[in-house]
Formats: sequence, C-alpha cells, structure tokens
Amino acid sequence: MSLENLSLLLLATPGITFVVLSLIWLLGGHVPEHAMSRLTKGVYAFLTIIVGIIFWKMWQSDLQSVHASVGAHWFKVAHYEFPLTILLDRLSLPIVGITVILAGVVGSFSVRYLHRDPGFFRFFLLLHLFTFGALLVFMADSLDLLLGGWEIVGITSVLLIGFFQYRPDPVKNALRVFATYRVADLFMLVGVFLAHHWFKTASWHGMFSGEWPGHVNNLNGAAATIVAVMLVFAASGKSAQGPFCGWLARAMEGPTPSSAIFYGAISVHAGAYLLLRIEPLLHSSVIATGLVIFIGSTTAFLGTLVHRTCADAKTSLAYAAQTQLGLIFVEIGLGWTTFAIIHLISHSVLRTLQFLRSPSMLRDYNRVHSAAGGQIDPTGEHYESLLPKKIQLWLYRTALGRGFYDPIVDRFIVTPVVALARFLSVFELRGGKS
Amino acid sequence: MNFLSIPYISLGLCFLLLGAIWAFKSANPRFAAHCSATASLASYVFSAFEVAKAEHARLFDPWLSFFEADALDAVPMAFFAALNLIVITLAPKRDASGKALAGMLLLTAATQTTYAAANFAVLATGWWLTSLPFVLRMFGEDRSQKLAQGFLIASSIALTAAIAVLHHIEINEISHASSIAFGFIIIAVVLRKGLFPLHGWMINSFEYGPLLPLALLFNGHLGALLIARSETAALSQAERHVLEFLSIAALVTALITSLRGFAEKKPRRMLGLLCLSQASFILAGIATASAEGITGALVHWLVVAAASTGLIAIVRVLEVRVSGSADPTAHLGLATKAPRLATFFLVCGLALIGLPGTLGYCAEDLIFHGALENHTWIGIALPIATAFNAINLLRIFNILFLGVLPKHVIDIPDALPRERWPLAIIVVFLIAGGIFPSKVLHWRETAAHEIESGLGLDTQEHSGH
Repeated sequence: MSLENLSLLLLATPGITFVVLSLIWLLGGHVPEHAMSRLTKGVYAFLTIIVGIIFWKMWQSDLQSVHASVGAHWFKVAHYEFPLTILLDRLSLPIVGITVILAGVVGSFSVRYLHRDPGFFRFFLLLHLFTFGALLVFMADSLDLLLGGWEIVGITSVLLIGFFQYRPDPVKNALRVFATYRVADLFMLVGVFLAHHWFKTASWHGMFSGEWPGHVNNLNGAAATIVAVMLVFAASGKSAQGPFCGWLARAMEGPTPSSAIFYGAISVHAGAYLLLRIEPLLHSSVIATGLVIFIGSTTAFLGTLVHRTCADAKTSLAYAAQTQLGLIFVEIGLGWTTFAIIHLISHSVLRTLQFLRSPSMLRDYNRVHSAAGGQIDPTGEHYESLLPKKIQLWLYRTALGRGFYDPIVDRFIVTPVVALARFLSVFELRGGKS
Repeated sequence: MNFLSIPYISLGLCFLLLGAIWAFKSANPRFAAHCSATASLASYVFSAFEVAKAEHARLFDPWLSFFEADALDAVPMAFFAALNLIVITLAPKRDASGKALAGMLLLTAATQTTYAAANFAVLATGWWLTSLPFVLRMFGEDRSQKLAQGFLIASSIALTAAIAVLHHIEINEISHASSIAFGFIIIAVVLRKGLFPLHGWMINSFEYGPLLPLALLFNGHLGALLIARSETAALSQAERHVLEFLSIAALVTALITSLRGFAEKKPRRMLGLLCLSQASFILAGIATASAEGITGALVHWLVVAAASTGLIAIVRVLEVRVSGSADPTAHLGLATKAPRLATFFLVCGLALIGLPGTLGYCAEDLIFHGALENHTWIGIALPIATAFNAINLLRIFNILFLGVLPKHVIDIPDALPRERWPLAIIVVFLIAGGIFPSKVLHWRETAAHEIESGLGLDTQEHSGH
C-alpha cells in the first residue's frame, strides 16, 4: 500500500469506527463491554502499526513529507474551494505517533477504570471521535481542515467534562469550558477567513515555501501580523494560556482517563503544535512573537504559583501542565523549535502517566513512605522563600484565588453580557396563553 | 414553455388538500395524514428529478400553468414535503388530532403553493393561505397565535401592496415605483421572518404556540424565497441599497437573538432564539451578493429546516413525556432515561451551529467566505453569532438532558421507533451531507447561478477577468 493510502487509512479508521458504532447504537443496537474493549484495543494497535510502517517507509526512502488528497477538493463554489489534503512531515509524524500510542494506552486503561460504568460505551465512542479530530488537526494540510479537527476535539472534550452528568458541577464546568473554547475558536475562525480574504490561501504550502522545519513565510505586512495574532489567541485557547487560562482546572471534572488524554497528553498540546506549524509567520512579526512569549511566560508564572496551593491531585496536575505549556510557548517564541518539540512530547508522556496514576496517588505515597522507613523528608525550601514576607503573602493569596481569574471574568465579561442580553428584551412583545 | 410530463405540482397539492379533509373526518387521522404526506412527497420528488433531468429548466405544471418547478424551488418543495411527513410521524398523540393534522397539511399545501408560484399573484395567494390554519384555530387557541396571525397578515398585506405597485408600473411606467415595490417586499420579509426589531412574535410563538405546526411555518423560509425570487429579476441600484438594509437587518437579528439567549432559561424561548438567529444567516447569505454566500445560504436553508425540525420535535416529545419541562426550575437530567433523544438533539443542534463534519459547517463556511468578499464586517460578525448560539445550544442541552433526574420522572421511554427513524433520517442527512457536501451543493448550484445572473455577478466576474 502506498504511503498516501496508508495516511488516509490512518485518519479514516477512528472516524469510521465512531460513525459505525454510533449508528448501531442510535438504531437500537447494543455493543457489549468486552466487544468494545477488544475493538478499541484492536483499532489502536492497528493505528500504531500503520504509523510504524509510515515512519519506516519515510525513513527508508528519506522522504521529508507525504501529501495525500481525497479527490480534487471537498467542495468548490466559484473561486473558493476546500481542499481535502493531509500532510505527514517531520513535525506531524512524531505527534501523530504519540497521539495514537497515548490514546491506545488510555483506552486500554479505561477498560478497567470504567468497568460497568453507565457511560462506558459513551466514553469509548467519544475517545474514537477525539482520536479522529486530533489526527485531523495534526495531519491537516491547511488551516481550514485543521479547524475541522480543532472543533471536533473541542466538543468531545466538553462532552467528556460533563461525563458524570448527574452531578451539577461537571455540567456547569463543561458549559464554562465550552464557552471559553468557542470564544477562542472565534479567533481561529476569523484568522482563517482573513487569511483567505487577504492572501487567498489558508493551506500550509500557500502560506509557506519549502518543507518543515526549513520552511519560509510567504505572507507579509500588517495583514500577516493580524492573522498571526488571531492564531496565537486561538492556540492560547486550546492550550489554556493567557486570557483563556481559567478553563483547565474546571476540565478536571471529567473521568481521569479523559483528563489524561485531553489535558495531559494531546488536546492541550494542539495549540503548541499550531504555533510550531506557523512558526515562520510568527517570527515575521515582532508583535506576534512578543505576544507568544508574554502569554507563555505569564501563564507559566501563574500556573506554577497556583499549582503549589492546590489541594487536590488533578487540579494540581492541571496547573503544572499549564506551567509547562507556558514554557513550551516561550520556547517557540524564542525559536527553540527542536527543544520545544522534545519538551512537548516528553511532557505529554509524563503527564499522561501522572494523570493515570492520580486516583492511586495516596496509595503510591504511602508505599513510598513505607519503603523509606516511614520517613520522607519534606520537599525543602522553595525560591519564593527568598522574597520579602509581604510579597510572599501577596503571592500566596493570589495563588489561593487562582489569580482571581474567575471573579474577573464574571464581573467584567459575564455580568455585562447577561445585563445587555436582559436589556435587549425591551424589543420583545410578551404575551402568553389566555 | 416547457411542461412537466405529469402534473406533479397539482397532484401534490391535491393529495395534501384531500388528505386534510380525510384527516379531519377520519377516525384514524394519522393514517390519513401519512398517506397524503407520502403521496405528496413522491409527487414533489418526481418533479425535482424531472427538473434536474431537464438541466434545471423552468417546467410548468400541465394542469395549472401558474405553477412551475425550477432550480430554485424544486428541491425546497421536495424537502418541505419530506419535513411535513417527518413532523406528522413525530407528532405525539395529543398533537395528532384530526383537526391539527389537517391544519398541518393545509399549511404545507399553502407553502407549496408559494414555492411553486409562477407569478407574484399566486405567490401572494400562497403567502396569505399560510396564515389560514392559524386563523381557523386548527392548532388550538392562545394569545401568541393571535399575535402570530397579526404579523402573518401584516406581511401578506405588505406583499400584496408590492404586487399592486408592480402592476401600477406596468401601466404607467414609473421607474421609481419598482423601488417602492421592493421596499414593500422587504417589509413583508422582515415581518414574516421575524427580523429585528420585529422578532418578538416569533419568539412568543415558540414559547406558547403549537410547536410542530410552528416548525412547518418557520421552515417554509418564504422570506428567503421571496428575496431569492426578487434577485433573479434584475435589481436596480436603488433596490440593491434596499437589499443592503435587509442584510444589516439579518445580521443584527442574528447577533441580537444569539445574545438574548444568555438571559433566558426556558427551553422553548432559547430554542426560538437559536433557530431565529441561525435562520437569519440564510438572508444574510443571500444578501451577500457573492456566489459563495448565495450558494451557502441556499444550502443553509436545508440545514436549518432539517436541524430545527429535529430540535423542535424533540423538545415537544419531551414536553409530552415530562411535566414541567416547558419551564424547568432545575436541570432535568433526561439523558439518563432518554440517551438517544439526547444524542439526536445534540447532533441536530451541532449541525445547526455548523460543527465540522456536518452539512451546517459547509454552508456556514461558504456564507462567511461570501460575506467577507463584499461585506467584511458581516463576515466577522456572523461567526460571533455562531459562537453565542453554540453556547446557548449547550445550555438548552444541559437544562433538558444533564443534571439530576427529578423525582417525579420515574420512567419515560427513550426514542420510540416512530420517533427514532425520522430523527435518524434527519441526522443521516446532516452528517452524510457534511461528509459529501458536493452532492447537496450541486442541488442548489443552478439556483445560485440564477440569482448571480439576476444580480449581474457573472458578468462582473467575466469583465473582471
């Protein structure tokens, strides 16, 4: 089988699995737990083998990239066409590889973790949809196609946050996360449309010349800066950075395996991937580069502060992940591309392990404690102890209040918007049943 | 003058009218309505095939030559006949009385008359007739229906005034009178579609009115049809300026109704605002005066019709199953008992707001691109409305399906087979259309070209090259 067909098969497999399983269920069918478990393990083993073959073939023939198209275009109207082209190159292949491996690990873990849970089937259905969306993000050859995967990842993420639907908090937090995603996705949407409008292209080969990592930016001027800034904000939304840093802790309401795959492994790194992909565009603009470094460094600072004051394991891990993502943003801003990729992949793997172990963290701690003869030394002094007491206290209060992010958003965004919405009811006639 | 080989349009209307009488008198009205709706669907599907076979030529009905099927109306006629059948199938028992089903068939017949009209007089007749089932109180009585009747009649009067002015032009050749007529047409559209600031009646009807007939009334999208028909006739410069006003009204409606949803808690009102906001995209798209925008709008028409019918029907069947769901004090948590209805609701809703992988995504993508071509600010503002609508959709979903199941809801059935199959057809259309959008775009391409020719866009393109 050719590399192009293998790439298409890689992308299509989780999507087809999702559609077939959904239709079986919607029309009244039932898939038992053991069948779902075997199917999931089989699908991810198959995907891992395909990635291995693609990697081997590309390495053997010293190929820089593989482009595969499904027909000439997805749809075409007048001068506008939506190409369905996927790309596997030295940036996307490692991330695609890590995606299928970690999704497989999480799927395998979840078989036991969610055994007899009423949402067992739903979880695996969404896992397959997520894998499809994530592969679409990483394999897209254009911003248009990337946007498709981006939104699929977003909606699956939200549906899994609200997985325990009979509890009020997950439902409330899922809505808040969705609202944040939608606002952040607006930047992406507008960025893509502006790229089409001003440069008549949103494909990687139209925006850049050459192969990654040596590709050169084709877009210039103030318009390019605006597009770059839009995409930086979109990436910040997905990676819980800067103005969108509040949602990650709320997302911890979902089941642990979904937290591992979304907020430890793959989903939150999609923003960093986007920045790596558009790196020449970022570096052509001082504003965009500065923005990435500023957003990354401030979020990393806030994340590391809050992380130290969190009482529960998953929230603490969420802020730790946010800190590392902030650092990855800074590395991308500084142009340390290879370092950023290594950081991204190693962070994904470590954080997946930590999230998956988090339900047994106390047991792990006790075991280590016993192995050390009942004496574990405290972690020691932190750098903040070098600061004056007053500043330490202020930082501590800020960290406890999680940077006061939620009160600020509630007061300056949510409340005025709802007030405006209420005011607009003056244009509506009220009349009911007589 | 080319004719259909068989008078499909007249036959379709006959089936609907006879079905209305049969359903009204029959002891088994749903059976009567089903037979009538299926027969009319077959007629309109055959007429659509014949139009496609004749390369989207204008084909007149051999019996009643003031009816015609062409590229613009053939697909919506078949689609609306299918919606009618779906609504009749999905109607809960308490909404399926002989009178109500007869009313739905009459409403469909009136809408099909408007679609198939070969001239403005017949179009206006159909337009007037759509308010008839409401005036005859076939769906029960409440104040919101009176309000709806008022607006429907006012829009019909505006349309009749436009036709009267157009007739006056033919006699006296007063050039500026065509602009006045177009102004009346715009007023008729604003009243009928419920554009800002006259959107209140539509929201009110969603809150208190009969939901399933409202789904048919709302999804006729006769305002969009009228504007599309007017655009196919060459518009003057002044009329184009009036069209600009319409695009602004549609944009403002989309934005304001999406924003209004944040202050609402009742599922019906939220659903009304959501549907109205997304439906405004159709007019905004048609008014973009660009090939992408017009094609996107014509496809979005089908998306809104299918998805909103699914959403409205699900809300209604839940209301029948669970008391107090019209104004819930807390989340209802119905996904535990009705997971399939929850899934159908979510898929229809996500298609309506344009999730990738559904037909809604392709339609909105084209509208946004088209809007950016000529009106950059519309192209930027419409995604904002979509984002707000997406948040409101999830809020409705959360209220109805997530949370703790109330104690009084001990056991309710999930989607019944009678509900499952029509909803599955809607979902398959929305998803299959999203995966293979070229086929659906092809259905609407010729109509879009005709509108472009009317606006002179094709000649502009050629001169531009």
